[in-house]
Amino acid sequence: MKLKKLFPILLATPLVVALAQSYFTPSELEAIKTGGKAYAEVFLNQRPDQALCSFHRNRLPADLLPQFLEEQRALIKYPASGKLMGDWKKGGAIFNNLQKANCFSCHFGSPVHLGGDVGPSLEKYGLKRGQSEAIQRYTYEVIYNAWAYFPCTVMYRFGALGGLTPEEIADVVAYLLDPESEFNTKPAVGSK
Amino acid sequence: MSPRVWWKVAALFLLALALAQGEVDPREEAKRQKQLLLETAGILPTELIVEQGKELFNRKGPSGKTMAECDFGLGKGVLEGAAARLPRYFLDTGKVEDLDGRILTCMTRVQGFRPDQIRRQEVVAVAFYIASFSTGKPIQVRLLFPQERELYTLGEKLFYARSGARDIGCATCHVTYVGRRAGVLPYADVLGRDKSWTHWPAYRYSNDQIWTMQDRIRACYGNIGHPQPNLYSLPILALELFMAYQNNGAVVEEWPAFVR
Ligand code: HEC
Ligand code: HEC
Repeated sequence: MKLKKLFPILLATPLVVALAQSYFTPSELEAIKTGGKAYAEVFLNQRPDQALCSFHRNRLPADLLPQFLEEQRALIKYPASGKLMGDWKKGGAIFNNLQKANCFSCHFGSPVHLGGDVGPSLEKYGLKRGQSEAIQRYTYEVIYNAWAYFPCTVMYRFGALGGLTPEEIADVVAYLLDPESEFNTKPAVGSK
Repeated sequence: MSPRVWWKVAALFLLALALAQGEVDPREEAKRQKQLLLETAGILPTELIVEQGKELFNRKGPSGKTMAECDFGLGKGVLEGAAARLPRYFLDTGKVEDLDGRILTCMTRVQGFRPDQIRRQEVVAVAFYIASFSTGKPIQVRLLFPQERELYTLGEKLFYARSGARDIGCATCHVTYVGRRAGVLPYADVLGRDKSWTHWPAYRYSNDQIWTMQDRIRACYGNIGHPQPNLYSLPILALELFMAYQNNGAVVEEWPAFVR
């Protein structure tokens, strides 16, 4: 095929698919299969965006960023009710559960568990940031798909990869933002 | 009380003490725990396991041979420094093998055990014993054979890969967030400063477990809900070869190690 003909096809293809179709070669995938079915499946089904982050070792070149961010944004869905702040009590149970969301392990600020320092401190997040529409949306979207703001970051993409439903995420947003929430009324474990 | 029970009691007591005292440098803390344990129990768990491994090493298999008939890379029965040069390619099997895998090969091909007769705890005990002959030795892993180079490349790719429902990747924790913590221990700089390859096999006093690097890697996947690779599988071996090669030249302070 001539380059001219190829060009429109490339344009129509999502960036991640065009640039990093597969990170592992077929023979590498064969070797990975000796790790067992469940293990191998994770790599056989590696997502194109994961392949791209793998290939660039978590630092995407600047020219790829705009389209990557746009594609990550497109994955974000919102609660049917349209409300981005739900029930802070339910949100607290999610935030502080190791199996469920594990937020506290990476973020300082929980009044229930001592937090880690992998991510920035969220101590008194709602009191510091307020509850404006913009802050609600930002917080919701970061939790739904952190890669839409921080490409290839370590924070899980809770909504985009199905760890939490839109409603659960709205509950967590309320836990962080609602001035009544214990996250904002009680001292964080370990605060001075 | 038997010595084994004794040091278990002592270990739990010391651990409770350490937890009550709050945060301390985990490496320094492990040294302190080891010293205290030695003073209270008179013997270290690592020494007991090495002793068990020695007995297993000298036990005759169905073929009538002991493990002294096996070549761990430096010739039949030579253990001095052998573990520090693994993983490596072996001509007799046509495969790259690490310490665990080579012990399996020895027990099946030379000693005549059936694979289903081999218990994991025995393999680990023998690994402790063989590794103990490499204390003070530098890591010397090479990429000579094409099989070694291919596995190294796979290991490097796996190390930087993001996968699964939580976008897991070794490098995200052990390169990007070195020193940060999401639990008790800070993320080690496994490719660099911490020379993590030299910390395993080890006794983990916080859990009373004996682990080789194979177990360590599986735990890193499992801790965050990623499916774990099977023991003795190629992805584990590939990650090991990659990490060992990155730590080439690092001197083994003590094998088996004593860690949190
Ligand atoms: C594996 C660690 C990890 C987990 C788990 C995690 N985060 Fe994060 N989070 C991060 C990191 C790291 C950042 C900063 C992004 C970057 O710079 O890459 C971040 C950023 C954020 C931000 C933006 C902070 C700001 O100052 O703008 C919010 C809000 C947030 N996380 C909330 C959460 C919530 C809620 C959860 C649980 C549902 C969670 N995080 C789970 C690591 C994590
Ligand atoms: C979510 C973060 C995380 C991920 C992802 C992760 N690890 Fe770990 N790893 C840890 C923690 C926590 C420890 C225990 C503390 C320490 O020593 O770093 C650890 C320990 C280790 C150690 C022992 C370090 C030492 O000096 O004794 C090695 C080696 C290691 N991991 C390798 C890997 C490999 C290989 C992968 C990828 C398959 C991986 N880790 C993925 C968090 C992680």
